[in-house]
Amino acid sequence: MKTIVETEALTKRYSRKTVVNELDMKVPQGCIYGFLGPNGAGKSTTLKMLLGLTHPLQGSIQIFGKSLNPKNRLEILKDIGSLIESPSYYGHLTGRENLEIVCTLKGAPTPEIDRVLALVRMEQQQHKKASHYSLGMKQRLGLAAALLGQPRLLLLDEPTNGLDPAGIQEMRELICSLPAKTGMTILVSSHLLSEIDQMATHVGIIHKGELIFQDSLSALHQHSRSRLHLTCTDNAAALSELTRNSVPASEENEKIILHDTDDHSVTRAIRLLVYAGIGILRVEETQVSLEDIFLHLTGKKVSL
Amino acid sequence: MLIRCMQSENKKLKHSILWLACFIIPLIPAIMGTFNYLGNLAFLTPGWHNLWTQETLFYANFFGAPLMGLCCAYLWRLEHRNHNWNALMTAPVPVWATVLSKLMVALRFFIMTQLWVGTLFLVTGKCIGVDGPVPMEILGYLLRGTLAGAAVATLQLFLSMVIPSFTLPVILAFIGSVGSIYITAKGLGFLSPYALLMLGMNANHAQDMLKGQLLSFLATAAGFALLFYLLSIAWLRKKDIRA
Repeated sequence: MKTIVETEALTKRYSRKTVVNELDMKVPQGCIYGFLGPNGAGKSTTLKMLLGLTHPLQGSIQIFGKSLNPKNRLEILKDIGSLIESPSYYGHLTGRENLEIVCTLKGAPTPEIDRVLALVRMEQQQHKKASHYSLGMKQRLGLAAALLGQPRLLLLDEPTNGLDPAGIQEMRELICSLPAKTGMTILVSSHLLSEIDQMATHVGIIHKGELIFQDSLSALHQHSRSRLHLTCTDNAAALSELTRNSVPASEENEKIILHDTDDHSVTRAIRLLVYAGIGILRVEETQVSLEDIFLHLTGKKVSL
Repeated sequence: MLIRCMQSENKKLKHSILWLACFIIPLIPAIMGTFNYLGNLAFLTPGWHNLWTQETLFYANFFGAPLMGLCCAYLWRLEHRNHNWNALMTAPVPVWATVLSKLMVALRFFIMTQLWVGTLFLVTGKCIGVDGPVPMEILGYLLRGTLAGAAVATLQLFLSMVIPSFTLPVILAFIGSVGSIYITAKGLGFLSPYALLMLGMNANHAQDMLKGQLLSFLATAAGFALLFYLLSIAWLRKKDIRA
């Protein structure tokens, strides 16, 4: 799969504090990449570096296969829509007038404004002053502005922050629908695991400026499958018997762990042990949740 | 690119009352100057020249630069508020065009203000019955003042861009103006953009303050404008928008 965003050893330091440390990020084309991490982990700084708003101390950034540098920056920016931190808006202007400004700067045709207004379902409120909008409306205005000019890449920094539950749901649905509708790649950051779980196809987990996990969401879910723990009269013999018969298993904390937990695999494993004369003292099923994985990876409790 | 930036700057000014400030504020020095002229007729030779000295005494020394500062502060205040820095800096336009478009808009306000100052001069003179034809030099003073305004505008735009406060750059313009009265009196007017405005407008002087120095004046004004324009671009290019 083609990579749209690729960073190599991206590092940023403010004074003496390293906020992003040797980050190697790979965002495949057409995916929704959930950039997950606790507050202050370095998500916003990373996104700002991808936009050239903040200059990295070291490392490189490739977007659309081009190196992000002062020479290429404007050309790359033409194909990026972004909503960083809180939405930007001129409060004394209407929503439509705000979009007209972005449209002019991006050199996009005027009908684009109606398209993005429809996309974020804001046609009815377009003539209201932006300062009178609710936070949810401002976020949608920000998203509409980001979508102007049909960018190939959308960078969204905590787009559901401060929204009420209905607003969160609406924004989430909107983001999820975009790759299919427009073919764009979306990089969305959040400190909420559940949110990334519901939106993303790929996940990068950042903690204390370091990328500690990066893969598809399904790969992350692999870790969260249930596991079966067996306590046997002779664990070493049990593990050897299972391994000899190609049953995926391992030993942890004086327990045998069966990796495949479907009925057929469990029946076969137990039968093998019983026939080998190994006593089974206890069979326990445990579930490793995404939160447990996150906790394991970051050592920090995740917000839900 | 520049045209696109200017179009967007114009759109940002919709519903703004900046025009009102440029209309009302020059009324104050015009009225004060006229009363000063009338009150000092015992010492002044009556005529258009001395009405000009009295009106520019207030306008160029105290009101012109802070008014320009107000316009520039407003132009950047729009970007300082509501996270507009992010949008401005991620727009696919070069920073030179962003800065230049704001300078163009500021100068447009200043040109209109200068024309209004000239109109007020004529109107107040006619109202108090100043005799004789209006000297053509006044047009030259207005034009010179406008050119000096480019130096003041680039400086004020730079200050308002770097300082997030709205009022501080305006106060600095006032302090700069007052301080420049002293600098001008010492014959060092070419060292301050604010003093250039006074020299250009021939503020409070019967004789032409730039006699034989017009080219140096133009070069200094252009030099200041270029210096602060380049500084603005360099600052924007290096600026880190912190998370």
